[in-house]
Amino acid sequence: MTAILQCNNLIKQYQQGETTVSALRGVDVTFNKGEFVSISGPSGSGKSTLLHIIGSLEQPTEGEVILDGVSLAQQSRQQLADLRLNRIGFVFQAYNLIPVLSAAENVEFILQLQGVDAKTRRARSAELLRVVGLQGLEDRKPGQLSGGQQQRVAVARALASHPAIVLADEPTANLDSQNSDELLALMSQLNQESQVTIIVATHDPRVIDHTRRHIVLTDGRIETDQAKVA
Amino acid sequence: MMRVLAILFPFAWRNLWRNKRRTLITLLVVAVGVWSILAFNSIVRAWSDSTLTGSLKNMTAEAQIHAPGYLDDPDISRSFPAPTGQLKTQLNLAQIAAWAPRLRTPAIVQSEYETLPVTLVGILPQREAGVSFIADAVKQGEPLRDGDDDGVLLGRHLAEHLKTRIGKRIVIMANDASGKLEERGARVKGIFSALRGMEDGFMFTGLHPAQHFLHADGQLSEIALMTAPQTPLDTVLQHLRHTAPQLDIKSWAQLQPITKGIHDLTEGFIYVWLWVMFVLIAIGVVNTQLMAVFERTREFGLLQALGFRPSWVVLEVMLEALQIIGFGVFVGALAAYLTVHALQSGISLGALSAGADFLGTERVLYPRLDRSEFITTIVVIWGLGVLTALWPARRAVRFDAIEAMRSS
Repeated sequence: MTAILQCNNLIKQYQQGETTVSALRGVDVTFNKGEFVSISGPSGSGKSTLLHIIGSLEQPTEGEVILDGVSLAQQSRQQLADLRLNRIGFVFQAYNLIPVLSAAENVEFILQLQGVDAKTRRARSAELLRVVGLQGLEDRKPGQLSGGQQQRVAVARALASHPAIVLADEPTANLDSQNSDELLALMSQLNQESQVTIIVATHDPRVIDHTRRHIVLTDGRIETDQAKVA
Repeated sequence: MMRVLAILFPFAWRNLWRNKRRTLITLLVVAVGVWSILAFNSIVRAWSDSTLTGSLKNMTAEAQIHAPGYLDDPDISRSFPAPTGQLKTQLNLAQIAAWAPRLRTPAIVQSEYETLPVTLVGILPQREAGVSFIADAVKQGEPLRDGDDDGVLLGRHLAEHLKTRIGKRIVIMANDASGKLEERGARVKGIFSALRGMEDGFMFTGLHPAQHFLHADGQLSEIALMTAPQTPLDTVLQHLRHTAPQLDIKSWAQLQPITKGIHDLTEGFIYVWLWVMFVLIAIGVVNTQLMAVFERTREFGLLQALGFRPSWVVLEVMLEALQIIGFGVFVGALAAYLTVHALQSGISLGALSAGADFLGTERVLYPRLDRSEFITTIVVIWGLGVLTALWPARRAVRFDAIEAMRSS
């Protein structure tokens, strides 16, 4: 197994007035290439904070994240933006598609920013939208798609740039059970086919069932970290 | 950079039209602002130019040459010889469109019924064309034939006051170069029409009879000159002063400080109006952009999470401003062009004509758009407008991605 992401003694503290709140209290964890990992825990346990720090959207108070051998702490704001563009895919709870772009354009947008030529990115977008079951809906704007369909577009967008890891924060929270199951099956299939590392922060037991490794966070610390037997 | 611009330009255009009503209102503000600046500018400038031209044509011209002290005491004894040599050569250069030598003195004119003070001006009529109004102001009788013509031209009002008419004789009295009072009879050859002050106060005759009458043969009181188009007056005057340091050479601004003041005030008005309208445009644009940015807080957070560089966020907001201001400026400039084009046949001052006469303005104004001023105004408004969008753009880039995406 090749380690793709290392979190070394991550501590994150927030200042709320005169009170210091600790969201993470020393998290050490390593993720390997091709893993499908779920992180669960009660509200306030620090799972979203961990995801944000891994995704370079937040800086840890102490500790460091090493992605593909690169320490995020050493990177400038612009370098972190480039890192997110090229190495990290995000799937958010609230879909978060760009409303003025069609489904296909949302997927292509990242590739366009990367400088991928039009022919390649159209082919990639068409392929991904077919894989997530949205063939024929490529030209629809987000407002013309259901919640489940929008989340599929978000998954396609997250995978478009062949990222090293995909970070998903409560991806099924706004979906009904049928759409949740379909999305999880899809993510599982994509994880196996493309060998991309997927890390999902979730409360949803169905998500946990689909992943092959499950980490439980409590009070900013890893309580359990279990690989499941296939 | 070009690649990012190519991506962000259409992206910004789409974002602009997410709220059609707001965009159209902003567009209207920019367009009306630009239209009013350009149209107002061209009309006010037409008035200002007309007043200035009228004033210059009323015997001042763009510049005058005198003997030292003449302007303080315009006596015939303060005259200078007609130009020869280098000065004449310089006056005949292409930089000077026209110049007119004159002999000018205070005089008394007497008819059978009245005696009135007047300024007697000896002229070369052909040379006055393009320099003063008198070349084409004779409405009754005939203009002076040449510099040897000993007939006189009177203003309409002066002729009325003297109760005289074409063909009648009048008597002119004036001090000659030695201070002796001279008197001669002359026949009224023409009646001219001009501003009231000109009609009442001036009487014209040929230069040579005037010199002879005042015993100032070969002498001049003044040379009035007009420069060729696009020639800087200051440069011409500098050269003339260098050539004839013994003479007093003054520009119209020095000769007519009130006219200069009015002209400067008008220019100032134009700039004040430009800035007032620009501030209104800037407020409209900044307000709209700030609203657009705050409404899209979540989206800017998302873009940053997806790998948008901070500079791209700034660029995106700036491009939106560039497009909306650009579109508004285009519409406003087109409307201004069409407005001025429609007014090309002139704006009649109608009921204001008495006031216009008093100020020396022509009774019909001809607005025009100066091409370089038109382009400069457009570029300045566009450029400054886009710069004002820096503020909302900087706000957009300050959003924390996590906080932004948490907001609804």
